[in-house]
Amino acid sequence: MRITQNMMSNIFMNNLRRQTEAMLQRQEQIASQKRINRPSDDPSGMGRVLAGRSSLSAISQYADNIKQGKTRLEFSEETLKLVDDLVQQARRVAEEKSGDSVTAAERSFAAEQVKEIYDQVLQLANSKFGERYLFSGDQTNTAPFVRDDDYNATYQGDDGSFKIPIADHVVVDIDADGRNYFQAEADGGVNIFDELRDLINGLENTDLEAGSTQIRATVDPLQNAHVQIMNKRSEAGPKLYRLQATEEHWTNVKTTVQNAIGREEDVDVAQAVIELKNLETAYESTLAAASRIIQPSLVNFLK
Amino acid sequence: MTHLFGVLTTGTSALLTQQRAINVTGNNIANVNTPGYSRQKLNLETNTPVYTAAGLMSFGVNSTGIERVYDRFLGVQLNNENAALGRWEAQQGMLDRVEVVFDESDGYGLNQAMSDFWNAWQNLSLNPSGSTERSMVAATSQGLADAIREKYAELEQIQEDIDTALESGVETVNRLVAQIADLNQKIASTESGGISANDYRDSRDLVLKQLAEIIDIKSFENSDGQVVVSVADGRPLVETGTTRQLQTQTNADGHTEILWPDVSNSPVTITSRITGGKIGGWLQTRDTQIAGYQDQLDALADGLRGQVNAVHAAGYGLDGTTGTNLFDDSTSGAADFRVNPDILSNLDLIAAAATSGGVPGNADNAIAVYDLRTAMTMSAGTATFDTAVNTLVSSVGYDVQTATANSSHQAEMMTYLENYRESVSGVSLDEEMVNLVKFEAAYNAAAKMISMADDMLNTLMSIVG
Repeated sequence: MRITQNMMSNIFMNNLRRQTEAMLQRQEQIASQKRINRPSDDPSGMGRVLAGRSSLSAISQYADNIKQGKTRLEFSEETLKLVDDLVQQARRVAEEKSGDSVTAAERSFAAEQVKEIYDQVLQLANSKFGERYLFSGDQTNTAPFVRDDDYNATYQGDDGSFKIPIADHVVVDIDADGRNYFQAEADGGVNIFDELRDLINGLENTDLEAGSTQIRATVDPLQNAHVQIMNKRSEAGPKLYRLQATEEHWTNVKTTVQNAIGREEDVDVAQAVIELKNLETAYESTLAAASRIIQPSLVNFLK
Repeated sequence: MTHLFGVLTTGTSALLTQQRAINVTGNNIANVNTPGYSRQKLNLETNTPVYTAAGLMSFGVNSTGIERVYDRFLGVQLNNENAALGRWEAQQGMLDRVEVVFDESDGYGLNQAMSDFWNAWQNLSLNPSGSTERSMVAATSQGLADAIREKYAELEQIQEDIDTALESGVETVNRLVAQIADLNQKIASTESGGISANDYRDSRDLVLKQLAEIIDIKSFENSDGQVVVSVADGRPLVETGTTRQLQTQTNADGHTEILWPDVSNSPVTITSRITGGKIGGWLQTRDTQIAGYQDQLDALADGLRGQVNAVHAAGYGLDGTTGTNLFDDSTSGAADFRVNPDILSNLDLIAAAATSGGVPGNADNAIAVYDLRTAMTMSAGTATFDTAVNTLVSSVGYDVQTATANSSHQAEMMTYLENYRESVSGVSLDEEMVNLVKFEAAYNAAAKMISMADDMLNTLMSIVG
C-alpha cells in the first residue's frame, strides 16, 4: 500500500482522539464514582437504577408511616393505661363507699372525687394525637365525647379507623371508634361514662340505703371496664409487633435495593484507575511513536 | 538525418519537458494538504520517430498531458458513507441534547417527581385533614405536572432548533448544487477540447462529498463528463443544463417540510423520502425519535389525568365536595398538563376521604390514589406509571447509545476510505522528493548535452573558419 504523510497524521489524530475520549470517560467515572453518568452510558442499567430509586423512595415512605403508626399506638397505649388506672380507682371508691356505715359527708367527698375521675377519663378519651382526636373515628376534628350537667356522655364521632399503609396494598387498621373503648354496651361491654355517672348519683343519693345499692351495682361493671380497656390495650400488642416486623423487613429490603443500585451504577474504582493507567500508557506511546515517525522525511536527508 | 542540430532539438525538448515535470511535482508538493486534491503526474512520450540512415529514431521527449491519479469507483462509496456519517452525527448531536432533558442520573427528574407525588398521598393518608400534608399533595402534583410539561416543551424546543438547522441545511444544499452545476459546465467545456480538467474534477468531487454529508444523493457521470445528482428516490437536482433548488415550508404542526420543484416547477413534499445525510438524521430525530418521546409523555399525562382524576373525583374533600379533578382535564396530552387550578386555590378540595360522612379523618381515598402507583395503568395494562417513566428514560438512553455507536462506526469507515483514497490519490512528499531529484538530474544532463553540442559546433566552426 502506498503510504502518504497525510495518512500517517490522520491515523495518529484518530487514535489520539479515541484515546483522549476513553481517558475522559474513565476520569469522569472516577470523579463521580459512578459508572452510569447519563442514560446512554447503560440504558438498561439506568432503567434498573430508576426502578430501584422508586422502590427506595416508597420504602422510606413506608418506614416513616410505620414510625408514625408506632408512635400513635404507643400514645394510645399510654392514654388507655391512665384510663385504666382511673377506672380502677373509681372501682375502689365504689367498693369502699358502698358500705352502710359510710356517712353522707364521706360519700359526698367521694362523689367529688369520682366527678374528678369522670372528667379526667373524659379528657383522656378526648386526647389528641397531633391535631387529631384519637377516639372519634373519622371525625378527627370533633371531640369524641361531651357530657351534659347530669354527666350523660354522648359520642360525637363515627366508626372510622386510623389506617397505616405499611406495604403495597397492605394497610394496618387501628380502631378509632371511641365507643369500642368507652361506650361498648351495644356490643355487650361496659359504658364507662354511664357507670361513673351512676356511681356519682349513688354517692350523692340522700337516701343512703338506696345509694348503697346504686354504688354496689357499679362495682362489677367497673371491674369489667378494666377488662374492656385491657382487651383494647392488648389488641395493640400484635399490631405493634406487626409494625415492628415490617419495619425490620423494610430495613433489610432497603439495604438490598441500595446494594443493587450500587452494583448497577457505582464504578469499580480500582478497575477504573487501572484502565486509566493503561490508557495513559497507550496515549504516551502513541505520542512517542508519532514524534518518531511523523518527523522524518526524505527532505531532511537531501542536501 | 542525423545532424548536430538534432542533438540541440532533443536537448531542448528534454529541458522543457523535465522542467514541466518539475512544475507538476512542485504543484503536488504545494497541494499536499489541500482537501480533495489528487496528485497529478505528467505523461511522457518519445517524439514521433523519423527514418534515418541508421533506422527509425526519435528526437527528444514530449509530454502528452497531465493526468490525475484517482479511483473512479471510490467517489460514490465515499459519498454514501459520508451521507451515513452525516445522518448519525446529526442524530447524535440532537439526541445528546434530548438526553440532557432526561438526565436522571443526579436523582432529580421525572422519576423523583413521580415518587414525591406518591409519597405525598401516603403522608396525606396518615393525616387527611392536615394542611401541611394537603399543601404537599398540591405542591408535588404541581411538581409532577410541571416536570412533564417542561420536558415536553424542551423537546419541542429541540424540534424547533432542528427546523432551523434544516432551513440552513437546505440553503447549503442549494449553494452546493449551484457549485456542482458550475463545475459541470467548466469540466464539459474544458474536456471538449481534449484536455482533462483535473482540478475542476477534484473540486467537484469535494463538493459532491460535502453535499452527500448534508443529504443522501445518487450521482453518476454522463458521457460528456457532467455529473447528474438526484435526491429522495431519484428526483434530480443537477442535470445537464438544469438545476433545481430545494425549498422549505412550514407545515400545520409548525415544522419545516422540504419541497422539490417538479417538471412543471410545482413543489412536491419530499420530507419523508430523505433518509440520509444531516438532513435525513435531523428529520428522523425530529419526526420519529423526539415525536416518540412526546407520545410517551402524552400517554403518561393522559394516564395520570384519567386514572388519578377518576379516583380523586370519587372521593370527598374536607368541605364535603366530591367530583373534583386533581388534574385539569380541559386539555389532553402533556403540552398543557396542569393541576386543577381550583385545587391550588382551595386545598380543602383535595379528596382524601372516601365518603362524605368520613370527612375529615377518613383516608381511604388518599390510599386509593396511592394504590395507583402499583396499578398496571400504562401501555395497555402492562406497566405502572413509574415503569412508564423509567422506560422513557431508558429508551432515550438506547437511542443516544445507538446514534453514538453508529456515528463512531461511520467515522471509522470514513477514515478507512479516506485513507484508501489518500493511498491512491494523496501526495507523498518522499515520492515527490525522489521525482524532484530524478527530474533535476535529467534536466542537468540535458543541459550538459546542449553544452556538449555547442562544443562540437564550435569545433566544427573553427575547422570551417
